[in-house]
Amino acid sequence: MGNAPPRLFRFRRFGSRLLLLIAGLLALAQCANFVLVRRANRRNATERIQANLDKGALLFTHRVNARLDDLSSRAALMSGDYAIRQLFLEDRTDPATVSSALETYRARMGVPFMTLLAADGSRLGDTGGPLPAAALKPFAGLVERASQADDPKAHAYARLPPDGPGGKLYALLVVPVYAPRPEIVAWIGLALPIDHRFATELKEDAQLEVTFYYGAPGRMLPVESTLPETALVSSGPSDIVEGDRTVDVGGEQYVTAYRSLPLITPGSAAIALQRSLRVELEPSLLLERFLLILLLVSLAVAAAVAPWFALNLSRPLRALAEHTKVIARGDYGTRLALDRADEIGQLAASFNRMSEGLAERDKVRDLLEKNVSPEVAAQLMRDGSALGGEEREVTILFVDLRSFTAMSESLPPRDVLALLNRYFDRMSGIVEIYHGIVDKYMGDEIMALFGAPVPLANHANNAILAAIEMRGALARLNAELEAEGLSRLNFGIGINTSSVIAGNIGSSRRLNYSVIGDGVNVAARLQNLTRMSQYRADILVSASTLAASKGSYRVRPLGAVPVRGRDEPVEIFAVDGAE
Amino acid sequence: MKRIAAAAILAACIVTAQAAGIVRVVTRDPAGRPVGDAVAYLVNLDSPAPVHPPADPVAITQKDQEFSPYVTPIVVGTRVVFPNLDTVQHHVYSVSPAKRFEIPLYIGDSKEAIVFDREGIVTLGCNIHDWMVAYVFVLSTPYFAKTGPDGTAEVPGLPPGRYRLAVWHPRAGTVSRDLVVAGSDDTTQVVSVVLKPDHRIRRAPDAAGAGYR
Repeated sequence: MGNAPPRLFRFRRFGSRLLLLIAGLLALAQCANFVLVRRANRRNATERIQANLDKGALLFTHRVNARLDDLSSRAALMSGDYAIRQLFLEDRTDPATVSSALETYRARMGVPFMTLLAADGSRLGDTGGPLPAAALKPFAGLVERASQADDPKAHAYARLPPDGPGGKLYALLVVPVYAPRPEIVAWIGLALPIDHRFATELKEDAQLEVTFYYGAPGRMLPVESTLPETALVSSGPSDIVEGDRTVDVGGEQYVTAYRSLPLITPGSAAIALQRSLRVELEPSLLLERFLLILLLVSLAVAAAVAPWFALNLSRPLRALAEHTKVIARGDYGTRLALDRADEIGQLAASFNRMSEGLAERDKVRDLLEKNVSPEVAAQLMRDGSALGGEEREVTILFVDLRSFTAMSESLPPRDVLALLNRYFDRMSGIVEIYHGIVDKYMGDEIMALFGAPVPLANHANNAILAAIEMRGALARLNAELEAEGLSRLNFGIGINTSSVIAGNIGSSRRLNYSVIGDGVNVAARLQNLTRMSQYRADILVSASTLAASKGSYRVRPLGAVPVRGRDEPVEIFAVDGAE
Repeated sequence: MKRIAAAAILAACIVTAQAAGIVRVVTRDPAGRPVGDAVAYLVNLDSPAPVHPPADPVAITQKDQEFSPYVTPIVVGTRVVFPNLDTVQHHVYSVSPAKRFEIPLYIGDSKEAIVFDREGIVTLGCNIHDWMVAYVFVLSTPYFAKTGPDGTAEVPGLPPGRYRLAVWHPRAGTVSRDLVVAGSDDTTQVVSVVLKPDHRIRRAPDAAGAGYR
């Protein structure tokens, strides 16, 4: 963990992180939306155009076929004409006569060109002067094709040379002349120009740009177009391949369908049907623009709202952080005021409950310490209040006031208690100084322990020193009492060192930390013996204490005294002071 | 029809008095049905027989706005008349190279007989009734017959020799085979004829005045 690489960037503020998150997510979502919509629009527009192009290609074929059908019916009407038959009654048809007669029919039918061919495909005459072989050939080919057809009719696209009927793309048609049906005596050839007018009409119907190409494969050039000349020139010679694709025409994208027109003459021809992608996209561009505005507006709103939102979130968090410092200082009284119902509000409420709990615990601890000694309180806080005990060597000290009961009768109870507490306060202080504990107060008597619950190496020594100290403290208290006009106090101290059972003693409802054992009785007995005037001692210690103390004191051996419940008498010593 | 057959038989009898063979031609389409109105003719490959047109003209009538018969085989030089038995006029014409002619609108007997002086197939039409069509097969051989509705034709009076048998029908063109006739043979030739779809236009429904009533 200590070797973790340093981070390139670290957010100092929660707000910045949130702002970046919200704005980033929003921007990502909106941008994706925009891109997807834009792409879908383009794809839809292209598909729509392609469908229209397919329809346009069909429309072109239908228009050509309809015109050819129309011409075919007119030619059929004409071929049954008596005058036409008259031409064939001659032994040798006169080409000039045939041509001039055809001119009449051409005018009647409203077609640009008409030719009459013999059953074998040879020319009998035509309008617009004799055709060069190159122009005649496609008709002869069609006659051959039609002769083999069930319904003797044929049509095909052709490019006729300029010295013929005009050097353009044509749809050629041959229909039979019957005399009578089914005997075919001749063929009428007609040419439908695929010219600018045709392209314009197709554009009006299909709403598509129409261009006709002619040339050799790979070198196709536009011959007729509804597009402006400049656009066509800029698009250059097209490598026409059958199919749909998007091409650049004069800097504009056109979805284009190329359909080749099979020619009966040399060369290749194709029709290009086109529609501008821009024109088709115009309605969707409005939507795209709206989406773009929406994107910018929502980003702006996010940028404006996110800091406020972040502040709203981070301010209470900061307050919580501050509050933890207050609690750490031990101030459990201050409450966090956050009027919120959300998780942060719940957290603040938990904080407040925690403060209350901590305050409660403090109070309990305080009370505990006052009622039991701090060491016992600490042990209880640490180990709980389990019943049980342990055997250990301790020194027990009993200190009892002399003739206090008699004195108390001359004083009001309140003053008695005040005096007693004053005395206890001094004595208890001394016990604590020497790391002992006040085990209990019994009337005007104090029982103190040294070496329990906290083990103490020199408990016997401490107990004796404490007793000597108490003697001094009592002398000082008596001086104060005399000054106050009160009676002097006298006490007796008994000290014994013994092995005892130490632990929490009592019921599960109420416990006392204490020690039990024979040694306790001995200490109490020694305290009682201080009343014996022959000893002239206020502090009596047992031999076991003196042995354990290792200190040097001025003591007077007072011999052995019997103790109730003990077979052997106890050797006692009076302590006069420290060496 | 009877007269034609009779004339042919007569001619054959004159040429070969001593021994004459008979060729029976049976025409069948791929489905096995008989093909009527087919012209079966034999050309002697060794010594072409001269033809003698009949003295009387052959008649092709127009009745109920149809030609009758549909197919008429004749020899070169035969005269044909076109009596119009209808109450409407007809305008008979042909632009076929074998005989170009027209008889402008007329009713009753045609003014004069048309002499068919070149061999070949002549398609007859009526200039004002597109559906009317008939064929005249002008032959340079005396040995011919037309199949009846049962698809059979009998060409009698054939002197022994090698012949080319040809069968022609307006919707099938010509099919031919070579054969030898010896003595008084009586052979039957089954000829398969594949007919093309009938492209004759149907008669106008209102031609009899049943149009706008």
